[in-house]
Amino acid sequence: MTLPPPSSFGAPQETTSTSSAWAAEARSAVKVYGKGESEVRALDDVSVGFDSGRFSAIMGPSGSGKSTLMHCLAGLDTLTSGAVFLAGQALADLNDRQLTELRRTQVGFIFQAYNLIPTLTAFENITLPLSLGGTKGDRAWIDLVIDTVGLRNRLTHRPSELSGGQQQRVAVARALASRPAIIFADEPTGNLDSRSGSEVLTFMRRAVDDFGQTIVMVTHDPVAASHADRVVFLGDGRVVDEMTSPRADDVLDRMKRFGD
Amino acid sequence: MIGTLTRKSLRARWGRSLFISLSIALGVAFVSGSFVLADSLRATFDSLFTRLNADIDLQVRGVAVFDSRNSDRDPVPASWVATLADVDGVDRVGPQLTRVATLLDATGRPIGTGGGPAIGALWSGEGAGGIVLRAGVAPKGVGEVAIDKATSDRAGIALGEQLAISTPTGVRTFLVVGIVGLGEADGFAGASLALFDPTTAEEVLDSQGAYDSIDLTLAAGADRDEVKSAVEALLTNRLEVITSDQVAREAADQVGAFVTAFGTGLLIFAFITAFVVAFIINNIFAITIGQRLRELALLRAIGANGTQVRRMIATEALVMSVTATVIGLLGGLLVARGLIWLFDAAGAGFPPTDLVMAWRTVLAATVVGVGITMVSVIVPARRAARIPPVAAMHPELGFGALNANRRLVGGAVLTGLGAVVFLVGLFVRPGGTIGLISMAGVGALAVFVGVAGLSSGVVRPASWVLGWPFARALGVAGRLARENAARQPRRTARTAAALMIGVALVSAAAVFTESLRTTFLRVLDRSVTADFVITDSGFQGLPPDLARNIATLAELDAVSPVRGIAAQVDGSVKQFGAVDPIPFGRLANIDVQFGSLNDLDAGSVMVHRDPARDLGLTIGDRLDVQYQNGVKGTLKVVGIFGDAALVGNWLISVDTVEAVTTQPQRDFFVIARVADGVDATAARFALQQRLDAYPQAELRSNAEFRQQQEDQINQFLTLITALLATAIQIAVIGIAVTLALSVFERTREIGLLRAVGMTRRQMRRSVRWESVIVSLFGAVVGVVVGTSMGAALASAVPDTIIDGVTLPFGQVPVVIVFAVIAGMTAAWYPARKAARMDILNAIATS
Repeated sequence: MTLPPPSSFGAPQETTSTSSAWAAEARSAVKVYGKGESEVRALDDVSVGFDSGRFSAIMGPSGSGKSTLMHCLAGLDTLTSGAVFLAGQALADLNDRQLTELRRTQVGFIFQAYNLIPTLTAFENITLPLSLGGTKGDRAWIDLVIDTVGLRNRLTHRPSELSGGQQQRVAVARALASRPAIIFADEPTGNLDSRSGSEVLTFMRRAVDDFGQTIVMVTHDPVAASHADRVVFLGDGRVVDEMTSPRADDVLDRMKRFGD
Repeated sequence: MIGTLTRKSLRARWGRSLFISLSIALGVAFVSGSFVLADSLRATFDSLFTRLNADIDLQVRGVAVFDSRNSDRDPVPASWVATLADVDGVDRVGPQLTRVATLLDATGRPIGTGGGPAIGALWSGEGAGGIVLRAGVAPKGVGEVAIDKATSDRAGIALGEQLAISTPTGVRTFLVVGIVGLGEADGFAGASLALFDPTTAEEVLDSQGAYDSIDLTLAAGADRDEVKSAVEALLTNRLEVITSDQVAREAADQVGAFVTAFGTGLLIFAFITAFVVAFIINNIFAITIGQRLRELALLRAIGANGTQVRRMIATEALVMSVTATVIGLLGGLLVARGLIWLFDAAGAGFPPTDLVMAWRTVLAATVVGVGITMVSVIVPARRAARIPPVAAMHPELGFGALNANRRLVGGAVLTGLGAVVFLVGLFVRPGGTIGLISMAGVGALAVFVGVAGLSSGVVRPASWVLGWPFARALGVAGRLARENAARQPRRTARTAAALMIGVALVSAAAVFTESLRTTFLRVLDRSVTADFVITDSGFQGLPPDLARNIATLAELDAVSPVRGIAAQVDGSVKQFGAVDPIPFGRLANIDVQFGSLNDLDAGSVMVHRDPARDLGLTIGDRLDVQYQNGVKGTLKVVGIFGDAALVGNWLISVDTVEAVTTQPQRDFFVIARVADGVDATAARFALQQRLDAYPQAELRSNAEFRQQQEDQINQFLTLITALLATAIQIAVIGIAVTLALSVFERTREIGLLRAVGMTRRQMRRSVRWESVIVSLFGAVVGVVVGTSMGAALASAVPDTIIDGVTLPFGQVPVVIVFAVIAGMTAAWYPARKAARMDILNAIATS
């Protein structure tokens, strides 16, 4: 299979605009760490957009820049050059307070592990972004989310009293609670056994199908990627391929070719 | 190998090492500074007195048959001057005369001294008594005076100026012709000194034909012991002759007793500071060992045994504490120098002082510096040695080794034992004052350690309650603050304990002073019916002439002086109060139960019911007494009374005092009452006019006197609080360090919170209010412990001083505000650190 030109990877059509039609978009994103001899180009002119209402996955071998891309898209890290748009907003224009506000209201996060605040109960963790903003949120929606992830009878438990899978379901619920424009998931199943992992992925899939959420997931697990609608492959800081409606075997085959 | 690891570890955690070392150094500096100051002052005064008495050989003075606070020796009649001059081998005879002489400013108000007495004395020649002219000439004739350089500098009095002085014979004006120093010193421990030539002094200072003492200087070649024997043969049994060595020793002992008390007071606060330091060090070691769990487990996994791990931790502590002790000893010199400077700035006029670093000081500093550190590190080091190797891979398996669950039982036992020792020390007092201070001290320390362990059991509920307002007002930031404060109860309890100790001691002092105040006011209300109280501004007493003078005022219908004298009763020294009985009966109510004040004449005594009961005295009994000058007497018991607060247990007439002593008398204070039908303002005006002749006298109404006494009690509390300030500051820094370590531990959590939308401001708030909750917890526990201690202390004091416990509820808001401020101050750095943490790095931390 030959590599299609980068412009066909769902890249932006109007490159001069200061707005974006994508849920999240990187334009000519460059991220350089270090200087001189030890310089590392984590992102090397990446342009990519992610659709609203879809479940996308970013894949690539270690050091391919997939985590850096996600961090920059989510407003956790800044680019060396280029631009990132999130929910139509250019992140470069925002100060720390506005970025924090944007993350709280427009972004949901699911991390690999240590995903919850140990001193808060499951329910308090789920509603944390809402509480931080000083709102109660949509109670009916939160109830629906809680029932969807099956945590109704675990709400008063602390994270230490929950299994790893349950903890990650709390994290999924928290990401959904404020109905963010986009959810970023960083290896959400990395620390789980396969049964729990598949449960969590099922809930993420349902969030997209039933509730119309947007999810971007970084993973190196082909099985996890196969739950997505589309997979973007990164290698050496560049977008090298993409796949729609991926099957686990195809993803695995594509990943194997990185070694060549 | 362990040595290398220790060195690397100290260097890698230099911030923490630096803080621990500085805390130890601060405690050591305070302790060694107290020793250095006391030793230096003692050495200086010893050599000063020796030099001051260098040019005399013998001294003749009245005998004293026992020691007492005030010396009631008989003066030496002037006729002895000639007699002693005739003794073979005596070259020079120097009569000594010292009285109160208050220097006045241009408006006729007393010039304050540097805290010492205002002295008028006889000039007996250049060099005599160590007095040397610095400028001008010796005073000669009526109307000339020489003053000390310290007072001259302080009050701006120059040579050639006219100076008004209030003397025992009234206010007179003198020409300043000389400025003197005492040896190398400009002044003498805060006193002001006015010197007159012998004839003038006798007249102005009202010698009444006698001197305080007569100094003898021997002719060259005379044998001191022979002359001494010759003089002894001449003297009556009411006089004695002593060597100059003894004069110097007695003077030095007197000052030495004061210096020792002063040094001991400082030392107590120094030890409290060191104790607080120990708590904080223990806490920091415990926390950092938790944080180094993986590293320590890795050492174990690759073959280090538990002993090596323990030794490594102990060596780290040893290196820090030895360094800190050396720094602290040097700091102690600075502390001593600083304190001397401070007292000098307040006008104390210390002689130039060389600092003395005794071996005992070095030893004490080492015991404190190295001792507290090693004791603090014992438990954390033993725990570290128990970390299993497997914790290198699975840290959660290691935490068990770091926790011990006997703290509640241990805390309770220690608190109970401490309380028992404390109470036995206070109420039973085995071994007198030393027993009281050491038992109460050790007991209190045990209670503090015990409570610190015990209080961890209530951290959760207490944080819940104390954090409630924050959780309500601040939403999730407040809730996190509350949860985090309750998260590690042991750590919170230990962190708060440092502050608890400071707050407890201030609370105890507050309860004590409040009880003192209440008792005092109650006594005043109950037993004083006088309208005016006249006191002396320099605490030197009033001339007896004053009471006699104002007693003739028609606007007053009762005036009585209150005076004192020491006398031996049944083999022990008692303080007798002396008044003018008949007017006194109208000025005060001492609860006379049998007999009457009207019967109290020159040969009688009234006794408080307690000693009366102990000695089996009833009305009509005879009481044998001996006064300090050796005079014996028999007093008839004419009354039994029930209120000793005003005059003490033994009450006699001033006539009795004047009959037994020939020494010039001073009244402690004089009380007076407005005559019936006379307007109080008019009476005050008339009284003040008479008092203009006594510039040092201060007239106060009953209400003003009350206020003045209350102010003095408040000053005492302020002083205690100021002395505890160092300990409290260290406690606040301790909270800051603990919090910073906690923030470091929660790096990942903080990153997560920031990622999901917590603002920096919310983060800062959350840390800040956590700190406030910890401070409040420490303050609340401190108030509870301190109030109990203060109540016990107040109960242990005799009823004549404190007759009941009163709690200062008004101070509660002050404590709360203080705790909030302390918490916010402590949180300044940790909150900043948490808020500025880089989110990505934080999340990437495992």
